[in-house]
Amino acid sequence: MRRSGGRLAAVAVVAALVWTLAPAIRAGEVVTLRFSNWHLVETVWGRSLREAIRIFESRNPGIRIVPEPISYGEKEARYQAECAARRMPDVVKLHNFSLAMFFELGCAADLTPFVQKEGADFLKSWYEFPIKSLTYKGRLMAMPGDYMSMVLIYNRELFRAAGLDPNRPPRTWEEFRDYARRLTRDTDGDGRVDQWGFSMPASKNPGLPLRILPMVWSFGADFLTPDGRRSAMNTPEFREAFRFIVELATVDRVTPPGVTTFGPQDVRIQMAHRRIAMKIGSGWTYPIVNAINPQLNAAEVLEAAPVPAGRRRITAAWLSGWIMSPHTAHPEAAWRFIKFLTSKETEKKFFEDNRVISSRKDVNLLPLVKMDKFSRVIVQELQHARLEPQLKEWPEIFDAFATALQEAITGAKPWERALLDAHTRVEGILARR
Amino acid sequence: MHGVSRAATGWIGPRRALRLREPAVGYLFVAPAVVLLIAVLVYPALTTLRLSVTLPGGQLGVQHYGQLLSDPLFWQVVRQTAAFVVASVSAHLLLGLGAALAVAGTVPARGLFRVVALLPWVVPDVVAGIVWKWILNPLYGVLNDLLMAGRLVDQPLEWLTHPSLAPLSLILANVWRGFPFVMVILLAGLQSIPQDLYEAASLDGAGSWARFRFVTLPGLRKVLVVALALDTIWEVRRFGLVQAMTGGGPGTLTEVLSTQVFKQYFQFYRFEYASAMAVAMTVLLLAVSLPYVRMIMQEE
Repeated sequence: MRRSGGRLAAVAVVAALVWTLAPAIRAGEVVTLRFSNWHLVETVWGRSLREAIRIFESRNPGIRIVPEPISYGEKEARYQAECAARRMPDVVKLHNFSLAMFFELGCAADLTPFVQKEGADFLKSWYEFPIKSLTYKGRLMAMPGDYMSMVLIYNRELFRAAGLDPNRPPRTWEEFRDYARRLTRDTDGDGRVDQWGFSMPASKNPGLPLRILPMVWSFGADFLTPDGRRSAMNTPEFREAFRFIVELATVDRVTPPGVTTFGPQDVRIQMAHRRIAMKIGSGWTYPIVNAINPQLNAAEVLEAAPVPAGRRRITAAWLSGWIMSPHTAHPEAAWRFIKFLTSKETEKKFFEDNRVISSRKDVNLLPLVKMDKFSRVIVQELQHARLEPQLKEWPEIFDAFATALQEAITGAKPWERALLDAHTRVEGILARR
Repeated sequence: MHGVSRAATGWIGPRRALRLREPAVGYLFVAPAVVLLIAVLVYPALTTLRLSVTLPGGQLGVQHYGQLLSDPLFWQVVRQTAAFVVASVSAHLLLGLGAALAVAGTVPARGLFRVVALLPWVVPDVVAGIVWKWILNPLYGVLNDLLMAGRLVDQPLEWLTHPSLAPLSLILANVWRGFPFVMVILLAGLQSIPQDLYEAASLDGAGSWARFRFVTLPGLRKVLVVALALDTIWEVRRFGLVQAMTGGGPGTLTEVLSTQVFKQYFQFYRFEYASAMAVAMTVLLLAVSLPYVRMIMQEE
């Protein structure tokens, strides 16, 4: 009895050893990196990234990349929790407004030593502005990814059908409003409007600021005073901009019903199915819309133009950055992967697959980028583009605005009251600093 | 040991040896569960409590609770949560009781009916939210199509954006999703009521309403309290459905405590304030669950 018990224990110990050591034996020298990116859940981008991973792995047999898809809205919450538990994926992608928060929380590794090792000229291929934006307290904390301006995307066929010149997009906001009214139509004659001039993702989503900021800024308004200490949402310019945006939905009725529940993908679906004629988007718009409805023939039918101008010509810039986890066990391998993702070759591939514009100058000088009708406008408008404020409080400040926008559009409050409440809330947020 | 009895050798045998060390073995058996509970319940709860009283300089204080009590949005959200919970739980009880009575009786295809009635409950919260969001979509939604085809409305209704309709739509979806849980509990309660009582009541001339009033309801009293308490606790915590359907909008009209805690913590990075809100929510939940706890303890 005792002997059989001993045998059992011995077998258990051996089994436990085998079970523990087997992965290590199997893996040999292979380093595994966890890679998380919201694009992995998207059809076009997801395919492109997986192809890039395969290329990287074939060139680096000692490194295996494990993709971890995540939703766009969930990424900050999950990465924060994982960072606190020292379990953040080795390489992740974030956009500029949440990057500042991650730097402050210590959730990004300092990339300066890796860049320095690459040589003095390594960063010269990138635009200065993205590099500066991703530098925190003098250290480079992320490598720049896509860098794009927001532009007006419109459907030339719907323009033509409404009697508008498809080669002459609206240049001012008044013209834009007039175009939108003419493009809002009952196309099948059943007495109900089934095509709208414009749509925007007015639910509370991280994509809304990029579409709203060009409008607000071009009216000469801003959310904060120049010193960043007070709310500027009570200025005449801001009130004018806010009223204009609200009235597109309430007075002109050029946006589809339910606009305050739309996310960016809803708006793309509407554009893909010819329900709307204009939207604010960027390089990613055409491939995604094309994937939703290839019959639209998006490459031919869609056009890009500068966002209409108000008191000034200005638009918002999109910038993403590749972050290395500060807790990665394989910093050298993670850097090698980031270097690959931001290389000229990979950025060119990302452009070809996804039409996203690189923050590398040498990629944007390639003929295929310069000749592309969307990219030409997006690159050209970068000179008028500004980034979202990189403040810890920015998400809450913008939430106050989005709340007011929804309240005013749905009639929960008169627009003046909704805006005043938002202004008061932002003053409270800034007073806490 | 061949030919010699075990007692004669003084060997006490495995069962007796185990009995001798019983208390220690008992602790050993419960240890994994206790460690797990400490790791996933006690530690996070204490961390949240500590965060809620941590001030910017690292000192301790109750300022975040002060802010919370003077924040009009917090009180608005508390009122909205209360309305959402009261409406949802009431409807769950009514529908759940009706469905339980139906499936307990002699309805045709009873088995199929039970499975179908349970389906909404097995659908994950977020999935239910997304499905309802599509059903209520003003452009593509099937509900507006049906209403317009039946000439009940002439314009699509904005279910999730109209200030009055949005909270109602949320409650409607939540009632659909949550009533099967109450049904299952009440069904178990119904099956535990002795059939003799119904027979005796019938012999005394009691009609179906009287049987329901004087046999079924008293027999279900305890189960009803359990269902009420558990459902209330779950509805106060409801997150996925609200987040997926309205995200708290339009404006803040459908915000509930759980969505606010999430926003304050993960979107606005106000960790300490969100923790204070979470603690307040826990206190509220404890108050709600007290009758349930008291009843269980009385039974024990």
